[in-house]
Amino acid sequence: MKKELLIQKWLDGEINDAELSAFKALPEYASYAKLSEKAKLFEDTSYDVDFEYGKLNAIISERRQKTATPVKTLNWFKPLMRVAAILLVGLAIYYAPLYGDTTTVKTLASNQTTIQLPDNSNVKLNASSSLQYKKGDWENNREVNLVGEAYFDVAKGSQFDVNTWLGKVSVLGTQFNVKQRVNYFEVTCYEGLVSLKYKGKEIKLPAGKSFKVIGNEIIEDETKDSLPSWSNKNMSSFKSVPYSEVIQEFERQYNIKVETNNVDMTQLFTGSFALNDQELALKAITIPLELKYNKENKTKIVLTKE
Amino acid sequence: MVQSLNSNVCEERVFSNIFQTLSKDVHNFLRYKYGDNLNPKDKVQEAFIKLWDNCKNVSPEKAKSFLFTTANNMMLNEVKHQKVVLKHQQVKPKHYTNETPEFIMEESEYMKKYQRALGNLTEAQREAFLMNRIEGKKHKEIAEELGISRKGVEKRIYGALEKLRKEIDGI
Repeated sequence: MKKELLIQKWLDGEINDAELSAFKALPEYASYAKLSEKAKLFEDTSYDVDFEYGKLNAIISERRQKTATPVKTLNWFKPLMRVAAILLVGLAIYYAPLYGDTTTVKTLASNQTTIQLPDNSNVKLNASSSLQYKKGDWENNREVNLVGEAYFDVAKGSQFDVNTWLGKVSVLGTQFNVKQRVNYFEVTCYEGLVSLKYKGKEIKLPAGKSFKVIGNEIIEDETKDSLPSWSNKNMSSFKSVPYSEVIQEFERQYNIKVETNNVDMTQLFTGSFALNDQELALKAITIPLELKYNKENKTKIVLTKE
Repeated sequence: MVQSLNSNVCEERVFSNIFQTLSKDVHNFLRYKYGDNLNPKDKVQEAFIKLWDNCKNVSPEKAKSFLFTTANNMMLNEVKHQKVVLKHQQVKPKHYTNETPEFIMEESEYMKKYQRALGNLTEAQREAFLMNRIEGKKHKEIAEELGISRKGVEKRIYGALEKLRKEIDGI
């Protein structure tokens, strides 16, 4: 029974030093250790998410075209449609101020933009991001939808929610940054207080604190900066972030494809790169990891482990 | 209500986000359970196409269970008494030391036995064991993902380890 408990702790990575030496003293230890080590060889490293997505996308867009076949219309139907259309336009104009359209702002790769929300709050949108809100109906719909990364400088006394695919952030007159990526979510508060909803839990984040989710792991951290570095220093900064996120950020900022060769994408990276000098930025993210880079052409860079 | 960017699976960015976050997990789940012979990659694709076809009826919160259930059902249709085989990478000779041919042969024998033994585990054991050993997931995470208790996960993984050891070491 004791042995079973030891092994379970060991498998879960929760074993302490004393227990570990007790476990190592077991005659079967070598056999367990080998089993555990060799299990990793059964990993299928050939699964490439981007490649698979490309394949899927091709199938789906084909389907979409098929479903969009034209429909025959009847003759008497046409004038009736015209009348209906005029009525509809009239109604739309009448109600437009009440139900304002959803405004969407998108940034392309290697672009940033600043938006002013109806309550005079400023939002700075980082590269390859998009923000949606109801301009005309702001009073009833005080929420914005965010995909990507943005810095919010909220007007005093104003309140609204920021929805992202991974979590919801509620604000009250404050300054904060929200970064949402595929497997990564980060909220940093620079001034005031933000409240955060993540997986049903509510978290209060005071100034100088940040909340990070990498994969399934939650990390709470601190910052001494007064603004996110991408917005005022023209740098992208990272603190203990998987290298894959750094590479993706580089791709977004410089609108370029980066391929890697033999590089451990899960290792953690702390540092920053410049947003206005590609050569310098490349050096900043490759030299610390002893990687070589090669510009194959204008749109592709290959990183190789030496 | 705002037509939310985040609440509609038909929206390409949301769909892409779901794919990026979940496709590998679905793939690994199928592989661990049913092995490589039934083309887990294709099943992932098919499951996501199903999700796309039903994007209006499935909310993003439900997408995960939809995908896992759909993919699992697709496998079950084919699985009928197939032997589970998981491919493994070749044991690479190490650079810093010279290995004798005997040693290399023993290693490859070991991997063959390992592969057979993995195939003889129950689906539940294999799945939990590989999630823990290959992906390094904690018992708690696995319990949440599979919707079983942590005790159950521990039992499965430990059971798998013991069974593998007995079969490979020939005790």
